[in-house]
Amino acid sequence: MSKPKVAFFDFTCCEGCQIEFTNYGDAAFLELINHVDVVEFREAMSEKTTEPIDIAFVEGSFSREADRARLESIRERAAIVIAYGQCSAGGGINALKNHQTDYRQYVYGEDAEQPHLDSQKAQPISAAIKVDYSAYGCPVNKYEVLQIVFHLLHGKEPVIPNYPVCVECKRRETVCRFDEGDHCMGMVARAGCTAPCPAYGVPCEACRGFVDHPNVPALEKVLVERAGFSQKRAAEKALMFTAIDLEATS
Amino acid sequence: MTASFIRSDDFAAFVTAIIEAGPVYGPVAKRSRFAFARLETPEELRLDYDVSILPPKKLFFPPAQDLLQFDEAGFRAPLEPTEKVLLGVHFYDVKAIDQTDLLFSERNYDINYMAHRETTTIVAANIQTVSSRAFFASVGADVQPKGHDAFLTAIAGGYVLETLTERGGALLKFGAFQPATDAQLKEAAAVNAAVLEQCPEKLEHGTEAIAAKVRAAFKNEAMWTAMAADCFSCGTCNTVCPTCYCFDVHDTWNVDQTSGQRTRYWDGCLTEDFAKCSLGEGACENFREERATRFRHRMMRKATYLNEKLGGPACVGCGRCSAGCTADIADPVRIINQIMAS
Amino acid sequence: MNHQCHWTEVENIFLPREATIVRSVQATPTETHFTLKMTDGQPIEYEPGQIVELSLFGYGEIPIGIASSPTRKNTFDLVVRSVGRVSGAVTALEKGQSVYVRGPLGRGFDLTKLRGQDVLIVAGGIGLCPTRSLIQYILDRRDEFKRFVLFYGAREPGLQLFTDDLTMWRTARDVEYCETVDKGDPSWSGNVGVITTLFPQVELTPETRAVICGPPIFYRFVIRELDMIGIPRENVFADLERRMKCGVGKCGHCQINDKYVCVDGPVFSFADVQGLEEAF
Repeated sequence: MSKPKVAFFDFTCCEGCQIEFTNYGDAAFLELINHVDVVEFREAMSEKTTEPIDIAFVEGSFSREADRARLESIRERAAIVIAYGQCSAGGGINALKNHQTDYRQYVYGEDAEQPHLDSQKAQPISAAIKVDYSAYGCPVNKYEVLQIVFHLLHGKEPVIPNYPVCVECKRRETVCRFDEGDHCMGMVARAGCTAPCPAYGVPCEACRGFVDHPNVPALEKVLVERAGFSQKRAAEKALMFTAIDLEATS
Repeated sequence: MTASFIRSDDFAAFVTAIIEAGPVYGPVAKRSRFAFARLETPEELRLDYDVSILPPKKLFFPPAQDLLQFDEAGFRAPLEPTEKVLLGVHFYDVKAIDQTDLLFSERNYDINYMAHRETTTIVAANIQTVSSRAFFASVGADVQPKGHDAFLTAIAGGYVLETLTERGGALLKFGAFQPATDAQLKEAAAVNAAVLEQCPEKLEHGTEAIAAKVRAAFKNEAMWTAMAADCFSCGTCNTVCPTCYCFDVHDTWNVDQTSGQRTRYWDGCLTEDFAKCSLGEGACENFREERATRFRHRMMRKATYLNEKLGGPACVGCGRCSAGCTADIADPVRIINQIMAS
Repeated sequence: MNHQCHWTEVENIFLPREATIVRSVQATPTETHFTLKMTDGQPIEYEPGQIVELSLFGYGEIPIGIASSPTRKNTFDLVVRSVGRVSGAVTALEKGQSVYVRGPLGRGFDLTKLRGQDVLIVAGGIGLCPTRSLIQYILDRRDEFKRFVLFYGAREPGLQLFTDDLTMWRTARDVEYCETVDKGDPSWSGNVGVITTLFPQVELTPETRAVICGPPIFYRFVIRELDMIGIPRENVFADLERRMKCGVGKCGHCQINDKYVCVDGPVFSFADVQGLEEAF
């Protein structure tokens, strides 16, 4: 059997999730490429392809109408499209600007009016094309990505958790951020990252978005009552990685 | 059964000796809290801990455990338990381990738990610091802790070690123990009795009255919905519970794509997908779709469903769920007292 | 601890055995009917109504009710509906390939309560699979039972299972077989309507023992019919489905209130489960 053809593409993003794919270490990466044929991956090779692809990893959010045609052509050529990383899967950090009006001046100053900076609302790529599976996170969890690939190599639907980060914190016996006077969003954040942030004393920012049915009113209540947030800050807290989710569920 | 005494000055040498003899797990500090961990030195041991983040059940029922491993040649169980000492278990956790011992061995004997359990010497220890949400004195008060091999109580000038089994007795050779005097035994009994007066929380009713009324409240949907309004379905109350033992199983492949493992992971009935089945063509049936039904199921499990089998409630009053719940709605004392008052 | 140390002497309940597919038939667009034989030649000993955990390494395990009777030796049948990761992979397998099974597990039909009695089996949809173990058993030991009535309802004619069996049952003299489909098609000349529309077609006595298995919604309506006949609920046996995972009463997923479907069931006396709020 020929090896499945895998390609990486990027849109509005930092390409950090693609860099994660090169971070498996030599031995694991070399074993991996025994099983997949990477045909386009600009972080690691110069070749490009116009051939059909088995698995397309698409990084970055859909934030310019001009990108739609390229997304559609990827979709046409790819048997499986994976929204790769949070920008692609949920809008990601780019979606912060969806709630601002002066971001161009703020970021680019006097160059703000340059035409190539024109963009629309940042959205997940699912706003433009059908997505088969999502690899969540900012960045992705490279081990989860491996499992997604392994599952697909065997024709098995990947297992993506719909339980929150609290489960993974407890499994590794992390001291709860709230017990240390801090805040956290692990109660509503989709797990699958293995909860590294709280383990190192950093609150969960829900970089993988929320579980399917997050209890957002309770989140705000806990942020106010237990972490001392103002109501406004509590309401805004959830926006960094989940603005799109909230729009969809509200 | 024997009762021995060891002076405080000799205690560190005893712990060092058992560490040298084999793995010893005990409570150690973890940031602002405590956790059971393999001891490297006697200084790490914190017998003054209030409660560990996770109960010691993790040693027998790890958060992730391979049930089998497979490759092209076949499959096998990777079970290789080692003899070990679990030191410093509070009596409520002893009660909980006794429950999971029963639940994993009855009907279908689960070797993956039992092998680790049967190779463990459990040394219980008196509670020196009572945690902020404990209610161990008033829950299942007539159920005695059992199943441990020895019980260590800190008294003036040292420790009384009561050994209850051969395994427990085998520890005596590692330290400068001498027979305990009647006065020392009396002091130890007083220490263990006194701690029962110090719980910050208290159930107001007996096991049977609670079981009957909680069970009867099943259909009070408005009450459960109100109680679960702030529930995140995060499963923390399950995951930190010493008597919870549900799990999920997943198969994964290794990078060679031919070998892999079947692994069980802690699961919790509060999480959304716990009772969800696939019906095909994208359709699902979730037998506990509403948060309140999952919240209720946990309370039924803790207060009524298992009582007959266990001889008491499936709750030992450690207070881990109460303290671990970020929304602070999981506290069995508040839930049960509210039901009893209704 | 309180009991003897004996983990070294006990069988590991999570290790499966290999079975070979000796026959595979696509029964409906989503269901495949497999006949399996234990590869080591040692058949599994089971009762009608019991389940096995069927697995493929790397994909996982699923519980499946055995669809054949222990009176048919050496092989056993499973019908797998392709709905998920494991079932999707299993249904792609062909004759000669291997699967893995653990079991038999759970409690099947209590034959002591059925022998010497009139028996009615009411099966809806895929509920015919686990009850087929009993149907075959009764037909193979027909003289141990009195009257035998079988009701089968499918959504549409094309979704009927075990069509060879149905052909036989339609004309058989040792079973009074009635069937219906929710929605007919031009090829269908039989009864159209939900399963309860079959009840007026046969006269049943209150002494009948009833076995019922179908989708969750089905029980509520069927029990109403059985109540009207006057069959006491302790003589009604329901074969229930939940999200069984471990199959050995540990993992907790299949609980109905305090019952574990995988060890307390899957067959329950209706009297034992009717008070369980989560049952129906």
